[in-house]
Amino acid sequence: MATEYVKFVDVTKCDGCRACMVACKNWNDLPAEQQDFLGSAQSHAKTTADTWNVLQYIEHEDSKGKLDYLFRHSACFHCTDAACEKVCPEDAISYTDFGTVVIDHEKCVGCGYCVNNCPFEVISLKEYVDKNGDKYRKAHKCTMCTDRLEEGLQPACVTTCHTGAMEFGEKAAMIKKAEERVKQIKDRYPNAMVYNPKGVGGTHTVYVLAEKPSVYGLPENPKVPTSAVIWKDYAQPIGKMMIGATTMAVVGAFITNTIISKKKNGKNEDGGDSHE
Amino acid sequence: MTNSWNDVQYTDCALIMGANPAENHPISFRWLTKAKENGGKIVSVDPRYTRTSAMSDIYAPLRSGTDIPFMGGMIKYALDHNLYHKEYVAKYTNASFIVKDSYKFEDGLFSGYNAEKRAYDKTQWAIEKDAEGKPVKDFTLEHPRSVFQLMKKHYSRYDVDTVVKITGTPKDELLKVYEAFCATGKVGKAGTIMYAMGTTQHTVGTQNVRAFAIIQLLLGNVGVPGGGINAMRGESNVQGSTDFGLLYGNLTGYLNTPVSTDPLNATLAGHLEKETPKTGYWSNKPKFIVSLLKAWYGPNATAANEFGYQYLPKGNKNYSHINLFKAMYDGKLEGAFLFGTNPVVGGPNAGKEKEALSNLKWLVAVDLWETETSAFWQKEAGSDPSKINTEVFLLPACSSYEKEGSVSNSARWMQYRWQAIKPLGESRADLEIIHELMTKIKGLYKNEAGPSAAPINALYWNYGEGHHPDIDLVCKEINGYDVNTGKLIAGFGNLKDDGSTCSGNWIYCGFYPEEGKNRAKNRDKKDTGMSLYLNWSYAWPMNRRILYNRASCDPSGVPYNKEKAVVWYDAAQGKWTGVDVPDFVATRKPGDAGFEDPFIMMNDGVGGVFAPTLNDGPFPEHYEPYESPAKNPFSSQEINPTIQLFDGKFNERGFKADYPIVATTYRVSEHWQSGTMTRNQEWLSELVPHMYIEISEELAKEKGIKNKDKVIVSSARGEVKAYAMVTKRFKPHTIDGKKVHQIGMPWHFGYKGFATGDTANRLTPHIGDANTTIPEYKAFLCDVRRA
Repeated sequence: MATEYVKFVDVTKCDGCRACMVACKNWNDLPAEQQDFLGSAQSHAKTTADTWNVLQYIEHEDSKGKLDYLFRHSACFHCTDAACEKVCPEDAISYTDFGTVVIDHEKCVGCGYCVNNCPFEVISLKEYVDKNGDKYRKAHKCTMCTDRLEEGLQPACVTTCHTGAMEFGEKAAMIKKAEERVKQIKDRYPNAMVYNPKGVGGTHTVYVLAEKPSVYGLPENPKVPTSAVIWKDYAQPIGKMMIGATTMAVVGAFITNTIISKKKNGKNEDGGDSHE
Repeated sequence: MTNSWNDVQYTDCALIMGANPAENHPISFRWLTKAKENGGKIVSVDPRYTRTSAMSDIYAPLRSGTDIPFMGGMIKYALDHNLYHKEYVAKYTNASFIVKDSYKFEDGLFSGYNAEKRAYDKTQWAIEKDAEGKPVKDFTLEHPRSVFQLMKKHYSRYDVDTVVKITGTPKDELLKVYEAFCATGKVGKAGTIMYAMGTTQHTVGTQNVRAFAIIQLLLGNVGVPGGGINAMRGESNVQGSTDFGLLYGNLTGYLNTPVSTDPLNATLAGHLEKETPKTGYWSNKPKFIVSLLKAWYGPNATAANEFGYQYLPKGNKNYSHINLFKAMYDGKLEGAFLFGTNPVVGGPNAGKEKEALSNLKWLVAVDLWETETSAFWQKEAGSDPSKINTEVFLLPACSSYEKEGSVSNSARWMQYRWQAIKPLGESRADLEIIHELMTKIKGLYKNEAGPSAAPINALYWNYGEGHHPDIDLVCKEINGYDVNTGKLIAGFGNLKDDGSTCSGNWIYCGFYPEEGKNRAKNRDKKDTGMSLYLNWSYAWPMNRRILYNRASCDPSGVPYNKEKAVVWYDAAQGKWTGVDVPDFVATRKPGDAGFEDPFIMMNDGVGGVFAPTLNDGPFPEHYEPYESPAKNPFSSQEINPTIQLFDGKFNERGFKADYPIVATTYRVSEHWQSGTMTRNQEWLSELVPHMYIEISEELAKEKGIKNKDKVIVSSARGEVKAYAMVTKRFKPHTIDGKKVHQIGMPWHFGYKGFATGDTANRLTPHIGDANTTIPEYKAFLCDVRRA
């Protein structure tokens, strides 16, 4: 039985330094992509195909008007039941023995099903131009530095983090640490909680959040959409059998993108602002 | 720092004021996080709720420029509530000293003020001496003219209500800070104060630090682990630079430069007499000064020629940054070398400093990249090259990874670094650049005689032949050696004033005590106790990690806190010992003179609650910043009465009628100083690509400014365009019943690099502190409007 690992992110120890963002770009040789001014310290609105980890900066006033300034390292959650893995028609996305979720770019056709179904909106497409001038797309996201894990190293972000806000270790031990930490900080952070959503089978990036998930724009109770399950596990195989793989792919794209997709006018159904 | 980064983990309460270490000294939070795990509290005092505030237990806002009222109120609180460490204050500070009755204080002025000179006759503040010339003391601290009672009287005016009115700090938050920090006055508890430019970059900057010194002495926090007065240096080697005399008023090792305006400095004997106190460790100054002269002039320095003292240039002006640029502006400077400095972005009143550069005949810039300053003449800089006659040379410098040498960190740890990769192209190390320059200059003067050539010919430049000097020879000269035998000197206690020893910097004497043992190269990771790591690098002086650590013990030599003991007197061995090197004569025994005097560098062996050597007074007193929105409630002296004023166009002054908003400048994690390095890095530029100001929701509403709007910030000196970051982290201050707004902005931006933006320093005033002339970047007035 392979050992599952978890990246434990304790946002209450994070000081928002963003060395983790630079470490990720450095290890993965990702290009810089300067954004327009977003109105806060945050550099990117969300993760992108070239920016796999974005520090969130949130000014949050509690019900008594007391201000807090919250930071969150946001990257792929590496779900146990990953929606992206579920919906990918090309089986390009798979689980490793570490529990991480990785993309095989040879198989990826850039259809975007994964992008449309990720409850956390962490996976993104990037457009390329081939030598014939034709455009194609590939999906990208945090790899949990699986290539480093294979060499006995830890993810680059974890290694760089100087406050110990991020730790990497065996799943059971990390989850226990998270639960104990919440108890330790109850005075300073009464709403602190462990974010390890059951609806996706738990994740391999587990957080101690200082506030409710909605304060961070995270879904309170994310799940793999039932529609995606029905579609992938039942409709697709039956469809392929009945009308052939290629036609199925075309039909599938239409259905996924217009009917099943969680995105309604770009807004995530489960998210939204929340004030206590 | 009196203490160190690692030591911070032992604190019971860290007061972080005038600094934002979560952003600007992030590694400090590794240690502050440990302090929190051990039950320590973090207090953040800042006009803005910063990332540091987010990591803290207690936050209190204050209007920029009101640090002295804030701390004065804390001093009063500690005294009123009897929270000070009584034995420490009586025995280890000059609180017991009786002050001469010529000392007076009235309406914001101390006795001895000359309004025309804007200076004090400090002899009016002298201490009463007995027949033997020793200070008269009252250990009960009750004598009305004791420093203690005078201090009490001085700060009785800093009651909580007055403090609240002038700082804008809400009363309950102010008291929470006072309560938390003053609790460290309890015997066995330790509080640390961590500060940076928010404290120092004011016209009262020195006195801001003095206020910290007073509270730390009152609470018994100097010399103890988890305590101290800890300046967080803003550059990896600025500690090294001040140690090595790059401050305009110093030779190396904090010796004073002799100025020609004092007739005593005409001879070495006169200079030594003027500079050398009769008591305290500085009484050894002649040994340090003569050894320094021997280092610089070698065999050309002899007893017969005052050891080359006449070769030393003796200035008659104030050569601070702001005065140099004023002289440049007035056309009085021919040329300038700017080594790794970018005043077009980093200088106060940067627009005027840029104009000043075009008055130079020549400029040599030594940098890793072409900077806003070395390119000041270009169209991109907003200049008309056809109108500028300055000849500009750019010498490419290599980065710290491409050269060897040492840096000294905030904690005085001298850490040697090796060359990791070879420099790119023709870029060179500063060491090589200086070596080649000096070798060439000496070559040009070698056949000349006369007063200009003599000092250059006499300079002993003995670092090997060829382009690359032997850095080991430089190291040895810094440490010092016997000039007759060549033998390295083990410590500054062995330096002599008879010309038999040389040492380039007495405070470092001891880092290279014998052949093959450059202790700056020590890299033993073993914790030798209390995270002091004695075998990792070399800390001056003599590898003592916590300064004045004798004060961590009671007068008999027993540690006040046995669980966190660093040094103690061992009666069996008959000496001081411990896990730190005792900052004390180790063999001093009970009953010996000075056994109870931990502050060995002070003339009287005790800490200075009263400091009669400073230009603006022996006690910190509040004066408003040069540009202020408020009336000083403490006296009719609106601004520091001893600061040097600059007239005319070079430093236009703004007033609240036109510029009602308080402004401050600061740094971010992702950029560094004037941005020459970081705005040339794509990944860092990506994180903070745009110039912005932080503005409260209330002020934004008043001005019709929405988040992300482009705005124009103006001051009496210039305008900058920026994005508006509307935030909850700034709130308007209530100053004496009136609403006073404050904004803040990063000062990293210029027109070069991947991330460009307007330069905040075009707004800041060209005015400096009364003692150091550090510019008042941190509190001035502005106005804001939508672009």
